[in-house]
Order: sequence, then structure tokens, then C-alpha cells
Amino acid sequence: MGLVLQGLTKRYGATLALDGVDLTIPSGSVHGLLGHNGAGKSTLIKCLGGATSPTAGTMELDGQPLVDLTPRRAIASGVAVIYQHLSLVGNLSVADNLFLGQEVRSGGVLVHARHQREAAAATLAELGSSISPRTLVRDLPIGQRQLVEVAKALQRNARLLVLDEPTASLAGDEAARLVELVERLRERGLAILYVTHLLAEVTRLADRVSTLRDGKQVFESDMAGLTTADLAASVSGRSAGRPPAPPAPPADPPVVLRTRRLQGRGMGPVDLDLRAGEVVALFGLVGSGRTRILETLYRGGTQETEVDGTPVAVGSPAKSLRAGICLVPGDRRTQGLFGRLSALDNSVFGVLASLGRGPVRSRAAERRAFTDVARHVALRPLVPELPAENFSGGNQQKVLISRSLQQGDRLRVLLLDEPTQGVDVGARAEIYDVVHRLAARGAAVLFATNEADEVLALAHRCLVVRDGRIVEELDVADLQPRDLVVRLHDAPAHQERNSA
Amino acid sequence: MSATSTPDATSGAQRSGRAPAPVQSVPLGARIRSGLTHNPLLVLLVVMVAALQVTTGTALNWGNLRGVLLDAAVIAIVAVPGAMLVICGYIDLSVGSTLALGGVVAGKVMANGQGNPAVAVVLAVAVGAFVGLVNGLLSTYFGLSSFIVTLGSLTAVRGVAQLLSPLPVNTFGDTFGFLGIGTIAGVPLAVWLALAALLIAGAVLTMTPVGRHVYAIGVNREAAFLSGVRVQQVPLVVFVLSGAAAAFAGVVTVARLNSAPAGQLGLGFELQVLTAVLLGGVALTGGEGGMFGVTLGVLFLGMLRNGLTLLGVTTFWQSVASGVALVAAIAIAKGTHSVRQRLEARAAPTPKSSGGNA
Repeated sequence: MGLVLQGLTKRYGATLALDGVDLTIPSGSVHGLLGHNGAGKSTLIKCLGGATSPTAGTMELDGQPLVDLTPRRAIASGVAVIYQHLSLVGNLSVADNLFLGQEVRSGGVLVHARHQREAAAATLAELGSSISPRTLVRDLPIGQRQLVEVAKALQRNARLLVLDEPTASLAGDEAARLVELVERLRERGLAILYVTHLLAEVTRLADRVSTLRDGKQVFESDMAGLTTADLAASVSGRSAGRPPAPPAPPADPPVVLRTRRLQGRGMGPVDLDLRAGEVVALFGLVGSGRTRILETLYRGGTQETEVDGTPVAVGSPAKSLRAGICLVPGDRRTQGLFGRLSALDNSVFGVLASLGRGPVRSRAAERRAFTDVARHVALRPLVPELPAENFSGGNQQKVLISRSLQQGDRLRVLLLDEPTQGVDVGARAEIYDVVHRLAARGAAVLFATNEADEVLALAHRCLVVRDGRIVEELDVADLQPRDLVVRLHDAPAHQERNSA
Repeated sequence: MSATSTPDATSGAQRSGRAPAPVQSVPLGARIRSGLTHNPLLVLLVVMVAALQVTTGTALNWGNLRGVLLDAAVIAIVAVPGAMLVICGYIDLSVGSTLALGGVVAGKVMANGQGNPAVAVVLAVAVGAFVGLVNGLLSTYFGLSSFIVTLGSLTAVRGVAQLLSPLPVNTFGDTFGFLGIGTIAGVPLAVWLALAALLIAGAVLTMTPVGRHVYAIGVNREAAFLSGVRVQQVPLVVFVLSGAAAAFAGVVTVARLNSAPAGQLGLGFELQVLTAVLLGGVALTGGEGGMFGVTLGVLFLGMLRNGLTLLGVTTFWQSVASGVALVAAIAIAKGTHSVRQRLEARAAPTPKSSGGNA
């Protein structure tokens, strides 16, 4: 008994997000699931949670087929997915959250609050927690909220628990407590799918492990005898090779961006020197502060920054843009794209004034500018009027990058946060190419990522980020994927966290 | 595509051995169809006017139309900045009271035909702009909900108007009265002004960078901020315009009435403006709509009320009909949305994956 997936396939347009995945998780065992961003982990989770339905293949839990799942039906069938963004109501008490949607009623009308509190306390105690059921969820630290979410799943008789990067947002001792919790749940006989980037957690917790790459399951094995190095190799997919290196930067180039004592909330101090034609990676996990460094540089914070040797006043996006610094944010939907506006509007948004005549926009000039840059980034389809939200992820990203490229020679420093998140393989190569051609024109590029392959394919230099600081600088030319994967996953911070 | 690129400036498509991708445009026929489905109200308006003309025979008489247009113009003058606020994600509920305040201020200046009409107009508009400035500062720089801020000023400003003028002032003189009932080339002055406001606002929204900023702020404020847009200043200016326009509408109204009753002026006016704006296809969620739609919305609302009057429907039933019309128009707009998407899908190829190496 447990979870059985057979030939699970999910197709988005022309992209195969999942390609015939077979997976069996017996009840009372923990299955680790590894893979890059975009390998198909999220799609698998969404299929199980009912957020999307698979194109082909079957799912079965304890012998019952899981078909036509909706989030509601998935819960009723015993599937509990704990997403990174928890689904708790902050203004309600722990007990109310546990029984949300299936309240215990007295006389069929009123909520039987005492009964709910007692049951909630019992469930929480089973999980080794002494949180009061009366506490409001918003008053709990993030680690305890996660525990409440797990308790909520148990309250609903979950038999399969899916944990999506559960430690990503946790502090060291909270993460250690989560590990204990997972062990307890295994003893209770739940089938657990543990999705993570952290190899050490898989080694510690999982009974079996599998790795996804480009939607396919490329590795599956019992944990016994496996080392983190084996896992790193399975994730990076090349035991010996590495992606082709980027074109070399010119010899002894001038410094384009010089930043000293860059400091902001949750990061710094950081010093940065970016040279003309150079592409530099900020390499670290989610929560390492890599995004914070980019955002602080762009939005303000305290810093002394020079562009091309001239001190510039940074402190707001508008000022950074004037200084020739552009940011392509990591969260396209909420920070980057004007979804309902056309691709053309999105692309030329920052240069409307300079393309126009006096105060009036020039449609013809905008269209020419759009077409030039859209061809340069190989935007598909090349329809200026199409709303940006209707493009695929990769092409949305191209639209955003094109917004920075519209700045032309005024663009001196391009900051990219996770440039290929949610971008398919083909578009990824095209985006890398665009970045390299920009660098070849003498601009400097700084990007944040947690993917070793991306560092190797895109960067000349790699800065390893941990706790908001740069802890190591690496020349990418001598690196293998495994060197990077190990640095990411076996970071001292995590070893401390696991032994705490 | 090879990753060992050369620093040339040719496009990705060319370098992979293909001709440059052609720019795909939406054909004119499809644009017209899409325009009609974007503005289902245009069809409804034409049908309604035709039906009224057939049944009453007087709907399109100039005498009748002039009355409709004058009523519609007062709403339109306020709906122009009102719609721009909604497009950038804010709302101004205080315009009814600001109208009253503007009217009362102008009325005080002009009481018994003594004052200078120019002073009256300027002072009233300045007071309205000040109300807008307060609303705007609280909603943008202080980040309070504009719904709540202007709900508060809706009540407070009405009180100020009544404090200023506990008893209605009246008889303002002919020069001032021209603002309300005067005509140029046979068309009421307010209609000319409303037309000018609609045209100018339409031009600003579609033809200037700042117009695009208004939409961008409504669609995605954070992205607009990261793109260097002044996301507080732009809505603030529109708030000021909204207050000024409401006060000016107040001037026109009291000039027409030749009286300024602080308690009755512009009661429920904010809802008429909002109804017209929403009827015109401006989305309450921001980022959508335009001045053409607002024009239609204002005319539709005016023609509807007028048509019902011509048909002998009582005032109470007219209110019922206006309310139903708003909901019905939005339901129809939602219905045509799916039609529109099908048309757009046919006009432009649906993008699938980028298929870089496919």
C-alpha cells in the first residue's frame, strides 16, 4: 500500500513537464525527490495536490485511483500537500485552522469550540508539540506554522504527505525539529514525498530517493550506501562533463560597476567589482540572500557605487536606471510583467519618452524599437499587440530582458534574478546567448541562481553567497558541476543546522 | 543554438539560419470585431437609442438631446479623472461632496450677483483641488486605502460645505449663469468642456508616456516602481484633478440651478460617476479601460434615464433600471470576453512554448 504513480505525464503546450514518471512510495516510508528548478518537481506536486491534472498516466493511493483531482478532492482522498506558502488563516486560532471547512458542530449549527480545541491539542501532542490551540496562527513563528499545517493534514486523515522544500524558510533549530517531525510521521505509517534541494536532508531522512531531470525520472535508488556526492552527480547529470563555457571576456577590461559596503536588510556588507564584458554569478540557495544583494544594489540600501568610474546616487529604481543599472526581477508575475499590457508596451516601457517626439509617443518608432530588440532576443510569436501574460514563460522572460536592452548603450550593468526560472530548455539557450552578446558589447552582468549548470554556462566568475554575504569567489573556467552542487548543498550552515 | 556566440548584433533567428521572423499583425477586420466585443456598450447604446426613437419619436429631437447631453456632461467632467484613478488602481468616492463644496464656494462668492465669476470659478476649483490633494496624499504617500480615505472625505467635505452655507445662497447673476445654461453654437458650454476633457484625457492616456504609466501602475504597481515610474506622484496628480473637476462640476450645477443648497448638491453623484465609469468598461481591478468607453458609459446612463422618462416611467423605477443596467452591462461584458478571446486566438497564433531549437 501507499502511493503508486505510473507513466505520469504532463504536457504544457509543446513542453513536456513530466515524461512518464513511475514512482512507488510504500506507507511508512520517506521518498526524497531531487532535481533542478524546472525539472518537473513542482508539476508532480501539482498533479498530486489537484492543482493541475496529468495529461496521461495513473495515480493510486492505497489502492484507490486518484482521478480528476481538485484540491478539495485530493484532500478528501488523503493527499496533503504542504506548499512553501502555507495555506493557513493567520487571523484564526490553531484549532480553528485545523478544523477549517470541517468544523465540529453542536446541534448541527454552532461550532463546538471546546471539542475542537481538545482534538487539536491531541493531534498537536502526537506531533510532539505543545502549541496552545487557542494561539492565533499569525503569532506563531514560521516553523510552528508548518507544524500546524502538518497537524491540519493529520486531522484530515492524510495518508500521503507531500513536503515541498520544507526547510527553505526555516532557521537552523526549526529545521532540526522538522526532521524529527518527519520521522514521527513515518512511524505513524504515512507515505511521505520529501521534495528538496538539500542533499544532506535526503541522506538523513529518506528511505528511497529519485531524481527528475527535464521531466524524466533519471535516477532511483534505495538510500543505503549512497553518498551526497552520488546524489549531486545524479542532479547535475554529468559525472564528467560540463556545459560549454561562455565566450571569454576581453583581457584586462575596465571596471564598470564598483560597489563598496553594500548593506541592507538581511544582507551585507558586500563589495563588488564588475568588469566590462564580464558575467558574474551570485550562487546560493533560496534564502541565502542572493536576491537581496541584487535588490539592495538596485533599490537602495547603503552603498558607495561607481559606474564607469563616476560615483552615482543610487537609492531608488529610477536613480539606478538613470545610472545605467537595470534589474530583471526574479518574480516575473508580481515584479516584472505588466500582464495585460501588450508585448510592445512591456518592451518599450522604459524608453517611451526618448522614442517620442516631445511629449507625444511615436507609435512608429516604438514599433521599430520593439521589433529590433524582439528579433534580437528571438521572441516568439512576434506579435506586438499580444498581451504579455499570453506568452510562454521563456518568452515572457525575453520580453522583460528586452525592456532592459531597449536602454541600448545606456545599459551598463544588467542585474538578473534567476534568469531562467520557469523557462524551457530552448529559450534558456537563447537567453544565455542574449546575455553573452550584451556582455560582448561592454556591459557587465550580475545574476543570481541556485543552478550549477547555469553558473557554468553563463558566468565567467562565481560568487558563492551564504547568509547575505559573499563567502567564496571561484573562477568558473576550472569548475565542474559537482564542485558547485557540493558547495550549495553541503554548506556549513546546513551541517550546523542538522546537528543542532 | 551554439553557446559560443560571437559579439555580433545579428538576431538569434538569423544566426540559426532562418530569415528574420516576420512581425505578425492583427488584420483590420479582426480589430473591428475585437473593438466591438471590447465595447459591447456601443451596440447596446445604438440599439437603445433606435428603440427609443421608434417608440417615442422624440428621443433624437435636439431639445431632448441637449438636456441629456448637459446632464451627461456634468458626469463626464468628473468621470474623466475618476476613470483615470480607477485605471491606476484607486477610487474617489468623495466627488459628490466635493461637487457640493465647489458649488457652495462659488455660490458664496457670487451671492446676490455681487461677485466676480472668474474669482468664483478659480476659488471653487482651488478648494476642490485641495480636497483632491488631501485624498491623494493619504492614499499614495501614506498608503492608506483610497476607498476608506475618500469614504471619509465624502462625509467630512459635505459637512464643511454645510458649515460654510447653512442656508442656501442664490441669485448669482447672468454672467455666472452662462456657465450653467449658456450655449456656444447651440451646444451647452458644459458639453464643450466635457468633450474637451474626454479628448485631452484620451490623448494623454494613449499618446503620452505618462498615459502608459497610468495603466502600468494599475496593472502591476511593483513592476512599475522597479521600472522607474513615479508610482506615487502620478496618482496624486490624478486625485488633484479629480477634486478640481468635481468642484468645477459643482460650479456648473449651481450656475444652472441659480442656487447652492449645500445639503442636496451632488447627493449620490459619486455613484453615478462610478456607474458610468464601470459601464464604460473600466475594470475596478485597474489597468483596463479608456476614454471611449467612459464616453459610452456616460451617454448610456444619460440616455437610459431620459428614455425611461420619455416612456413615462417613474423616478423610482428609473433607479431600479439604472442599477439593473450596470449589472447587466458588466454581465454582458463578461460574456463577450470569451467571444473576444476566441477572436483574438483566431487573429493571432497562440504562443506555445518558445521551442528554441524545435
